[in-house]
Amino acid sequence: MVYVSRRYAFSATHRLHAAGLSDAENQAIYGKCNNPHGHGHNYEVEITVAGPVDAVTGRAVDLAALDALAGREVIGPLRYRNLNEEVEAFRTAVPTTENLTFEVDRRLRAVWAGTFPGGVPRLEKIRIWETERNICEVRGI
Amino acid sequence: MIISKKVEFSASHICRAPGLSDAENERVYGAAANPLSHGHNYIVEVAIEGEPDPVTGMILDLKRLKDVLEERVLSVYDHRLLNREVASFENLVPTVENIAIDIWKRIERHIDASGRAWLYSVRVHETNELFVEYRGGT
Repeated sequence: MVYVSRRYAFSATHRLHAAGLSDAENQAIYGKCNNPHGHGHNYEVEITVAGPVDAVTGRAVDLAALDALAGREVIGPLRYRNLNEEVEAFRTAVPTTENLTFEVDRRLRAVWAGTFPGGVPRLEKIRIWETERNICEVRGI
Repeated sequence: MIISKKVEFSASHICRAPGLSDAENERVYGAAANPLSHGHNYIVEVAIEGEPDPVTGMILDLKRLKDVLEERVLSVYDHRLLNREVASFENLVPTVENIAIDIWKRIERHIDASGRAWLYSVRVHETNELFVEYRGGT
């Protein structure tokens, strides 16, 4: 079993504002991330898969297939978007790095077996860098 | 407790499986299938698991680990064409997966003679966008 990690990048706008909280509470919790005009980040997404190394190719994952999947399901739909306004999941959920990581995990898991028959390699974890210093990780169940 | 050491080497490789057609190799490896080879600056992170020695406060002698990596990996890999100049890859495609497994095999038995520390994982970064981790086993 080998763990292969691949990194991708996209840039997007978001605003952190919880509908159920008052303006003062939102300001207190999210600080400058609550700016009503939104703000942006260069996000980095790391996808880690786990699987056996194929005896012929020496590969544990078809990287072209992974790149195509990540491009179609994650990077394409999110890049240069306003996450709050243009991504369905964030019409209700606050686009924190936590929720963004869950969303990326959900998007990939929903179609994983279609690209990787039998779920091999398996999707092991997702890490997202919002900035150099804010990193969120979700591991598969 | 786990302690990691990072080292680097630069090498070239060709990702082509002899059992596959040219078209299949292009599909599987993309640009990396170039028969004239290409190269990378690889970063290797070796993680050692163990408990600190009560006297020295160290899991293992890091200088010795550095020497093991130098002697068993870097002196073999650095500034080489892996396919032609490293025996492990005579009949094995030097993908980053196989490089990580080969490094594991080269160093596993030489980490620590006392039995207090052992190899936990080998991570190899081929580019900023791609790295693999091997923790032994199949």
